Amino acid sequence: MKRTVVPFGPQHPVLPEPLVLDLILEDEKVLDAIPTIGYIHRGLEMMVERVEYTEMGFVVERICGICSFMHGMGYCVSLETIMNIEIPERAAWLRLIWAEISRIQSHLLWLGLGADAFGFENLFMHCWRMREQILDIFEKTTGGRIIHSVNRIGGVKRDMSDTELAAILVQLQDLGKQFKKTANVFGTDPSIAHRLGGVGVLSMEDARAVDCVGPMARASGIATDTRLIGANYYDRIELEPVVETAGDCLARVVVRMREIDQSIDIIRQAIDKMPKGEGMPLETKPRGNPMGEVFTRLEQPRGEVLYYVKANGTKNLERFRARTPTFANIPAMIKLVKGCELADVPNIILTIDPCISCTER
Amino acid sequence: MSFFSRSPWILHYDGSSCNGCDIEVLACLTPLYDVERFGVLNTGNPKHADILLVTGSVNEKNIEIIENLYRQMPDPKVVVAVGACACSGGIFARAYNIQGGIDKVVPVDVYVPGCAARPESIIDGVVQGIAALEQKRKKTA
Amino acid sequence: MDSASFLARVGDYHKAGWRLALINVTTVIAAPAPPHGAAAEPAAPATDAPTADAAPASQAASVFEIAWAFAKDREFETIREQITVGDAVPSISEFFGAAFLYENEIRELFGINVTGIGLDLQGQLYKTVTKVPFSHQAIKARLAATAAAAAAASAASAAAAEKKA
Repeated sequence: MKRTVVPFGPQHPVLPEPLVLDLILEDEKVLDAIPTIGYIHRGLEMMVERVEYTEMGFVVERICGICSFMHGMGYCVSLETIMNIEIPERAAWLRLIWAEISRIQSHLLWLGLGADAFGFENLFMHCWRMREQILDIFEKTTGGRIIHSVNRIGGVKRDMSDTELAAILVQLQDLGKQFKKTANVFGTDPSIAHRLGGVGVLSMEDARAVDCVGPMARASGIATDTRLIGANYYDRIELEPVVETAGDCLARVVVRMREIDQSIDIIRQAIDKMPKGEGMPLETKPRGNPMGEVFTRLEQPRGEVLYYVKANGTKNLERFRARTPTFANIPAMIKLVKGCELADVPNIILTIDPCISCTER
Repeated sequence: MSFFSRSPWILHYDGSSCNGCDIEVLACLTPLYDVERFGVLNTGNPKHADILLVTGSVNEKNIEIIENLYRQMPDPKVVVAVGACACSGGIFARAYNIQGGIDKVVPVDVYVPGCAARPESIIDGVVQGIAALEQKRKKTA
Repeated sequence: MDSASFLARVGDYHKAGWRLALINVTTVIAAPAPPHGAAAEPAAPATDAPTADAAPASQAASVFEIAWAFAKDREFETIREQITVGDAVPSISEFFGAAFLYENEIRELFGINVTGIGLDLQGQLYKTVTKVPFSHQAIKARLAATAAAAAAASAASAAAAEKKA
């Protein structure tokens, strides 16, 4: 049979971001997929040459507008490790709370986009309506909806008062209740089960072979979660990785839905355990220039992110490298797309939760 | 409300943006902001679109995509640059792969500032785009 | 670098169930670009110490540091190698299929000759404006441009201050 090449992207209704896959088809079956990225490549890592290390955090935040908080946090944690800075306890807890709030935000955003991709517009609207409540929390506590710039090397810039924290928890638990209804639709609607169930199955062996991370790996039965290494106060939280075993598109939806509940629970524990009071120190100011190198690992909404920072004792870092979760999940995506039907390609691509601007930096 | 006489259809393209403005553009469609009440519709097809909404700056690879999308849109058409990167290159202006704002490639009618641009200002930008569209339509008519 | 023993070590990680976490390259620019005139200073006994703008000497010191990082549960380990410009680096695609993205990237951004990549994208991954933006020449050129711009700016502000006075 004659082979056809269908270019998928860079401008495609399903993807808000440009990603190109050259799909090689035989009839409706995808035989091969060749990725091309680079439509968003900015050359951000090179900015260390021009921007001092104290300011680089703001550039790093703009690797991606969805996990901007976690990117800022990862950069600051890296520099704190190099410079041996112990950050105040309350600052660490605040970071953890913000990180989990941004995880809820990201998962709601993704669930909406996923619903849009399989043509369930109503569900998309519901998810994004709930996401706006999270953005309100962010705006109230950090001043920004998308880019927060609240992380500093040595701590955080703003505090949340104890009454504010209590109110946020109530709001989040209320959101959790609202979300149950939506989750019920995802779980029981027959058209969703038909569209996602059994589609794009990634077995546990395959998931190990392509080194995927985050919800992608957890939906295939691998209990991996970088939060379990215990850094950044996660060792003081009880947490069990959310694992599903089916490995199909539906399992990846379910993992992310359960992680929303998990994050709300983590925030509850954190508010419970953090030291109370007003006017606690939030920042340990860094002194001098950094010297040394570090690898930092964090669990972002999309999976493990890895930063490499090398400093040479000057104001400008020698090297900054971010390996984002989507970069690690692209091989898995290519593997899944091979052999599927053309009509399933958008769904499969979306269920890895691609963040192209993370990938290309 | 005379200049709402036409309901503009929007084509959104993400240049090399950080995603922040893109999701704010999408947030405009959702219940809190809901631009569809003004008849504004997000379309995936350049041949249906009146307004090209570009987020992010221009780099070597997407330069031809933006040109191509602009060429495929029917006249009269309006370009709205959303966010600091689309206006001038923003925080990434000095990175090696960034060539600058969208106006390096296509003529821009409305600049929306902000990093990330807020939904309110994006909607405002689109409304100003409608006015520009109306003017262009009168000129060509 | 010794490819055979390197690949054997990578193979051991693969057999033990490690996950490829990152392949990172650092372009080693040994000394910050010295101001004009200082470049002629004799560079002590170390023969490979670079003298900033003498072409052959800086060629000799064109070193890249490569780190292959592997993760397994809570553990994290790296294999480090130093190579000079032009050295071939073997691909580890045979063990870790996911390596192809990293390897295409380092070839395109750093100009490192990686041989035997599983899925060879022929330099079409990023297509940057500046070709090989992290090569020694490109970085030095950018650093020199930044320094020149800073010098011009400080000269301009000094002139402005003089005018005021």
